[in-house]
Amino acid sequence: MAFTMRAVKVPLNSASLEEARHRVFDFFKQACRSIPTIMEIYNLEDVVTPAQLRSSIAKQIRRNQEVTNPKVIDMLLFKGMEELNNIVEHAKQRHHVIGQYVIGEQGLVKDTASKDQGGSEFLKKFYTSNYF
Amino acid sequence: MAAAALRPAILRRIRLSPSPSFSQPFAAAAAAAASHPHALARWLSRPMSSHDAHLTREEVVDRVLDVLKSHPKVDLSKVNPDAHFEKDLGLDSLDTVEVVMAIEEEFKLEIPDREADKIDSLPLAIEYVSNHPMAA
Repeated sequence: MAFTMRAVKVPLNSASLEEARHRVFDFFKQACRSIPTIMEIYNLEDVVTPAQLRSSIAKQIRRNQEVTNPKVIDMLLFKGMEELNNIVEHAKQRHHVIGQYVIGEQGLVKDTASKDQGGSEFLKKFYTSNYF
Repeated sequence: MAAAALRPAILRRIRLSPSPSFSQPFAAAAAAAASHPHALARWLSRPMSSHDAHLTREEVVDRVLDVLKSHPKVDLSKVNPDAHFEKDLGLDSLDTVEVVMAIEEEFKLEIPDREADKIDSLPLAIEYVSNHPMAA
């Protein structure tokens, strides 16, 4: 089964930033190669194109681009792998995938922005990322 | 690799005249092929192959440029067949990987990591796809 093959058997242990960076790109490629499977499982053919999903995955990875500690990067990669496993083994549902990756954070923030007129800059930055 | 590149060039210069000793279908095919040397080359090298997807260089260039233009971060005015992803188009390394993945999807290829790391400009991408035997 795909999820057992994908499970990380040895905990990631990057020696240097360069190795961690290489692992990030490997993870990104693995996620992109799973996109056709994901689109088929969740019937996303009419909703989104593979290119948009690639951009959305890249955006998620880019949110953490300021991190320089290889161990933190390993931890983030572990979480990313877990998320990818969950999605590919159909542990999530269509509305999860659409809400998190098709509409993304941007859509939700835009919806709330008109309602809470007094939305502060601090809150908007807080919703986008941990590091600001 | 050099031989594969030389073969169409050599075959292009070979012309067979249809001889009457050929059987009928061969004569017709040879007659048609002799007037189109490129088709003859294909017919000689892989006569019964169903894999006739032979991409011309212009087609590869057009499709790679289309892939690049459909990327949201790319400035359409700067796209030309000599562009470097990071220096000319201002993409970062993650965008480069994304573009390479888009090229993989477009041509139905799977590019191994060693080769994918070397592709960081348009001429390299076009050359890689043109030389790949399975590009569709």
